[in-house]
Amino acid sequence: MSPMTSRTNLSPSQKVFRGLLSVLPSDFRANFGHEMESVFAEQRRDIEERGGWMDILKLWWETFLGIFRTAPREHWDILKQDCAYAVRMMRKNVGFTVIAVLTLALGIGANTAIFSVVHAVLLRPLPYPEGQQLVFVRQQAQREGIDDIGFSVDEIQDYREQNRTLSGLVEYHNMSFILFGHGDPDRVRAAVVSANYFDLFGVEPLLGRTFLPSDDTLGAPPVLILSYNYWRTNFGSDPDIVGKTFELNDKVHTVVGVLPPVPQYPVESDVFMPTSACPFRSAKTFIENRDSRMMEAFARVKPGVSIAEARADLTTISGRLRSEYPKSYPEQMGYAAVTSPLREELTHDARPTLLILLAAAAFVLLIACANVANLTLARTSRRERELAVRTALGAGRSRLLRQLLTESLILAIMGGLLALIFASNSLELLADFAARLTPRAHEIRMDTDALVFTLVAALGTSVLFGTLAALFSRANLTSGLKEGTSSAGTGRRKNRLRGALIVSQIAFSFVLLIGAGLMLRSLQKLLTVDAGFSAQHVLAMRTTFSFSKYASGDQLTVVGRKVLDQVQAVPGVLSASLSSVYPLEKEAIVAGSNAFSGPFRIEGRELSPGEAPPVTSQIVVSPGYFQTLGIPLREGRLLTDADDGKHQMVVLINEAAMRQFWPHEDPLGKRVRGENDKEWTTIVGVVGDVRDFGLERPAPAEFYVPQGEGVGPNALLVKTTADPVSVALAVARAVHKVDSQAAVTHTLTLEQARADSMAAPRVISSLLGIFGALALLIAAAGIGGIMALNVSQRVKEIGVRIALGAPPTAILRMILRQSLTLTALGVVIGAIGALATTGLLKSLLFQVAPTDPVTFTVVALVLIASALLASFLPARRAASIDPIVALRNE
Amino acid sequence: MTRNKDVESFLPMTPAMFHVLIALADGEKHGYAILKEVARRTERQVRLSAGTLYGNLARLESAGLIVESDERPAIGLDDERRRYYRLTDFGREVAIAEAERMDAALSQARAKKLFRKPRTA
Repeated sequence: MSPMTSRTNLSPSQKVFRGLLSVLPSDFRANFGHEMESVFAEQRRDIEERGGWMDILKLWWETFLGIFRTAPREHWDILKQDCAYAVRMMRKNVGFTVIAVLTLALGIGANTAIFSVVHAVLLRPLPYPEGQQLVFVRQQAQREGIDDIGFSVDEIQDYREQNRTLSGLVEYHNMSFILFGHGDPDRVRAAVVSANYFDLFGVEPLLGRTFLPSDDTLGAPPVLILSYNYWRTNFGSDPDIVGKTFELNDKVHTVVGVLPPVPQYPVESDVFMPTSACPFRSAKTFIENRDSRMMEAFARVKPGVSIAEARADLTTISGRLRSEYPKSYPEQMGYAAVTSPLREELTHDARPTLLILLAAAAFVLLIACANVANLTLARTSRRERELAVRTALGAGRSRLLRQLLTESLILAIMGGLLALIFASNSLELLADFAARLTPRAHEIRMDTDALVFTLVAALGTSVLFGTLAALFSRANLTSGLKEGTSSAGTGRRKNRLRGALIVSQIAFSFVLLIGAGLMLRSLQKLLTVDAGFSAQHVLAMRTTFSFSKYASGDQLTVVGRKVLDQVQAVPGVLSASLSSVYPLEKEAIVAGSNAFSGPFRIEGRELSPGEAPPVTSQIVVSPGYFQTLGIPLREGRLLTDADDGKHQMVVLINEAAMRQFWPHEDPLGKRVRGENDKEWTTIVGVVGDVRDFGLERPAPAEFYVPQGEGVGPNALLVKTTADPVSVALAVARAVHKVDSQAAVTHTLTLEQARADSMAAPRVISSLLGIFGALALLIAAAGIGGIMALNVSQRVKEIGVRIALGAPPTAILRMILRQSLTLTALGVVIGAIGALATTGLLKSLLFQVAPTDPVTFTVVALVLIASALLASFLPARRAASIDPIVALRNE
Repeated sequence: MTRNKDVESFLPMTPAMFHVLIALADGEKHGYAILKEVARRTERQVRLSAGTLYGNLARLESAGLIVESDERPAIGLDDERRRYYRLTDFGREVAIAEAERMDAALSQARAKKLFRKPRTA
């Protein structure tokens, strides 16, 4: 073969032709390139002698077509050959193939699964037409730290009429009803919305219709729309549900439609009803009072208008209302309308967690890549002779590299396929977990995007580890045959690369393990934190009494007392209590203490102008609450049945409230009143702090108000002598003895509630723990492997050392020291990486610093111990080398 | 290459491939000569480009229908870049089989009077 003419001497058309040739496989080019160039030159010469420029153009066109038709066929042929060869090689080396494919499958699978979640929750547009135009609007009392104080009917009206940037604004609030006529009375979570609510979102009903303006007029026949989930789980997806009637509280409602599965915000609802169906919302006194606030608002921004413009518009209206109605918006409260994109509202809780998991999964994949690259390198070392022979037989260098890349591609594709199986099997679990963080969780599924992601991940992976391995084979191809074994120089270079790969695996594993370790420590702290109450043998349930039947606070107090009497008579019940909310109740955790808090005044303390009144959470309780939950009394007395609000108004406070509002004085006997109340209430006792709204959140300042002022006896708590679940039925029966129409739902033990409240940190810890364990396993196997190879490469040298009198323990130490050096280097780099990144975990950690020295020390020790353990076998083999055998083999 | 390889597996051939074999039937040729002969013989009906020609040569060579010839013309008449190809015995068998296959088809067409006027080959 003659060398190709150098590029500089080429005519322009020769250059173009050579450029065209580059689409052909390199082997083909090497074989026929020169001839094709000369044939083309001759063709051109012939045509130039006799033809015109049309003929030349035609020649170029035909040449172009010919090459582009030939190229794919030639490439395909080579691919077929390479694949067949690769499969033969893999079969010859099953162990390597299985380990490589499994490693890649775990790495890619973790990424595919997490990506599916991230994609569905964070990346995909909302499942509403033009979803980016949707915003959530809430009114805050910012100086009071109240995140969401609600809108009144007047305010909704004002924002709707005065804005210039919205194409629509709808209201929303939620409440509980009791549904009759379908098994036991059931407490349903109802969303009460404007008639055009679904039109604003662009939601088409799955069955029936959505609301009409006529549904939302006073006196209109009551109608219901069911959520997809409620329809599916409670009515078995009954296709004939539309037109059926159900009694809700005291009214018969007709189902007019069923919704498709759409994310629900701020809370999940079972049914939807128009505003006219809510007795509170449609009461004249409520409608006419600008200060009766309870609704949220959703709005759609006009096309072409930015969210920022809408935000500014609503802020302007808010300011205008404040100056127009100064009495409704006291300066010190800091009223303001806050507008945020709906997509952000739906996902902000999930974002940090999901991104951390995505990063962790990416780390696992990188570690897997480094490991497979190392395995491949080790294998190509063993194949050097074979590759060198093939080079000698005429296979071009790029041809061999292509062969190696094809092999890694096949491995990665096999890994990718297995990864899909792993991922689709873990997706349901992940979706369950994500449901705790975002209403978009039910959109999580394996879709084409996830498949494309897997494909790209597999291809990227194969390129990454394939190229690394192939590049280093390239250095060896020439030397391989010459010397029989790899030359000392390339050997050393390769060992250095393998060392670097191991160090990077250790470093990445370290970061992952630190993440997992911090989360585990945090979880352990959560498990053991003193929540301020005893969950043992306590049963909790939601009891809902029809507000239509018990319209006044007095009536509710009476029915509550009756219920407690009945329940306390159940055998096995030690004590019982009713309250507005109980510790670690899921809905309370979601809503946060803000939802239960309000401003109040302390007798004798005047506010300076512009000063905001103090704020506290309020929990309505029956006297038995503290006994049932084992909440200790610190000072004064507890509540009694005599504290019914008729004779003397009393309240208990917790220690947090005492510390916050009476740091230097005795609160007993001090008097307080709600911001809008007229009468003063006397503090009669101080009780211990309870972490009501999440184990990780310190107890807020709390007032315990005796039951009696119109708050329904919602939560029934029962302390039992034995397993609380065993009395659950008897307790429900006792409630129904008082009112057969009461709904008893959400029954669970407080221990369950406590465990549930830790579900999110538990899942994050488990996932990071699994990722960390995988990383540790891969890294340990990697370092064991490299040490084994190292030993087998140095058999002669070690033999000489032993022959010269080195004791076996010295050899053992030498090998272990080498492994230790690599590990220590990885740990140091990993520690730097961890210090730089664990700050991201901060929001998820409880009582553990992101730089927690205990975690760092333990993880470093675990990694070093695993590496030493993995290196022990090869080290022992080195120590037991027989110098005579070793030297004879040379 | 194996002589007992099934000739049938190459049939029917693409026109380009068949014409390359015909071009080599009367002796070895280099690439450009093949290309020119095919164009001349088919009155430029079959026009091979450099890409299709060498794609076909590669295939025919790896299938053992042609080989690169060791013999070269006298120095001076030869362009060093040129390689000469010749038909193998197996290649000749395949070419004959393809010709017979086409001939049989043509006879049948002729019997059904599918020709406008009788033509000599």
